[in-house]
Amino acid sequence: MGMFKSAEEFETVIVGFFNLIGETPVIADKLLKSKMIIRFIYTDPDLVVVVDCSGDKAETRAHDTETKAIVEMSMSADVAHRFWFGMVNLTKALTRKEMVAKGPIPKVLKLLPAIKPSYAMYPQYLEANGYGQYNITKSYTPPAG
Amino acid sequence: MLPEFFEFYNPTKVVYEDGVATDLKPELDIIGIKKYFIVSDHVIHDLGLVQKVADGLAEAGVEVTGTYLDVAQDARLKDVQFCADQIKASGAEGIVSIGGGSVIDTAKAANILFSEGGDLVEDYSGAQTLTRPLKPHVVIPTTAGTGSEVTMIAVIYDEENKEKLAFPDKFLLPTLAVLDPQMTLSLPPKMTAATGMDALTHAIEAYVDIDASPISDAFATGAIELIFKHLVTATRNGDDVEARGGMQIASTMAGIAFTHSMVGCIHSMAHATGALYRVPHGVANAIFLPFGMEYNFEEITEKLARLARFMGEDTTGLSTEDAARSAIAAVRGLTAQLNALDALPIRLRDVGVPEDGLEAIAEGALNDGSSFYNPREMDECELLPYIKNAY
Repeated sequence: MGMFKSAEEFETVIVGFFNLIGETPVIADKLLKSKMIIRFIYTDPDLVVVVDCSGDKAETRAHDTETKAIVEMSMSADVAHRFWFGMVNLTKALTRKEMVAKGPIPKVLKLLPAIKPSYAMYPQYLEANGYGQYNITKSYTPPAG
Repeated sequence: MLPEFFEFYNPTKVVYEDGVATDLKPELDIIGIKKYFIVSDHVIHDLGLVQKVADGLAEAGVEVTGTYLDVAQDARLKDVQFCADQIKASGAEGIVSIGGGSVIDTAKAANILFSEGGDLVEDYSGAQTLTRPLKPHVVIPTTAGTGSEVTMIAVIYDEENKEKLAFPDKFLLPTLAVLDPQMTLSLPPKMTAATGMDALTHAIEAYVDIDASPISDAFATGAIELIFKHLVTATRNGDDVEARGGMQIASTMAGIAFTHSMVGCIHSMAHATGALYRVPHGVANAIFLPFGMEYNFEEITEKLARLARFMGEDTTGLSTEDAARSAIAAVRGLTAQLNALDALPIRLRDVGVPEDGLEAIAEGALNDGSSFYNPREMDECELLPYIKNAY
């Protein structure tokens, strides 16, 4: 059984975080430049999320199985969760099939430097939004105030 | 320092012997199938190499069900489908590919469709999308550089969208790699030098990249030692069987190294230069190699210092930094020797790259997938001076 107790809770956490990334210019500008449309297919709990950077702003849509994605990434919700802490080596995860990627992988690899700042944002986001129980960063110190 | 994680996987059997490509019965008996389809190109065919192998297969009691020779300089998407259709229609049970990287990659990709059916781009683009072994694939390389006979990747050119598609998958690793120096004796000096420098770039980048491991290091350093020993001789005297053999083994070892730890900024720049100005891949790698080593210098000083020994440099008494610089000097020395043989250009200006095209190369390099594995995070502005130096 995975870390998240329900698909609804995982959806709230992950979609909320993607929205935050989409509103963070230092990351969003680079994502929008890539024009990437990526579908995340999560298991345990099951959830499909599309992050669409093809327009003027990054859009996140849960349950979107219709949009033609450039890349599809399949993984468990726990692997996705650890990824946003910066704890997953993407090439290792692909090699061990913890993640399965369909589509032009170089375009995904190219985005990794762009999303690097989000790793520091994720634990702060969890704490700030009442999901502190999912913060697995041992050395995490809550923001002052 | 040991890496946090690495995986080593190479089920490809490698055989080496002068003349072994026409005497494969023991290996084919173990594979166990009796009907093979040959994939090659017209140049290899006209050199008589396809017939030579086919005669050897017949002597081994194997039926050749058909031959596909229309592989272009770049392995093309439309050829893959056409080739796969012919293999399937012929009733073959496996593939023998005879050629350089394009032939081998066409055969690898065709094997996906031959074994599994479907559409190459729609169903198999991505990473590790295959779920079971493909049909047997015997590879007989006729160049010494690509290493494709032992890599888990096929690179296919999509003419319609003008982009190169990479298919990385463990199940693309061939069943058998046949290293026979006789198959490379007719390779002209320019091709020998360029493909050899491609192999050297594979080995050096595999050694310094972020995914390097002690096992990939061993293959990389072994390859570097062989290349420094044999490349000039193989270029100067194409009939030297030992030098040809040494280069074939080196190319295969470098292939094993980089299929595990990948390549970096030098390949990124070479890919961009190839796409923009059609500079042959090995030539572009050769031109960029010393400049890429300089770009990464701060991050890889100790590694370069260790590599110098494998390049034949005496680093006794040198500081780590000086030993590292001697490795770069050794690479420049090698390319200078090949240049003196009129076999290798060493400047971008000599291969038709316009001076006002250098920024586009920097931009293209940043967008290349190999940039991810480079030991120094790649930055367009920081990379450009090195590209200008290569001009």
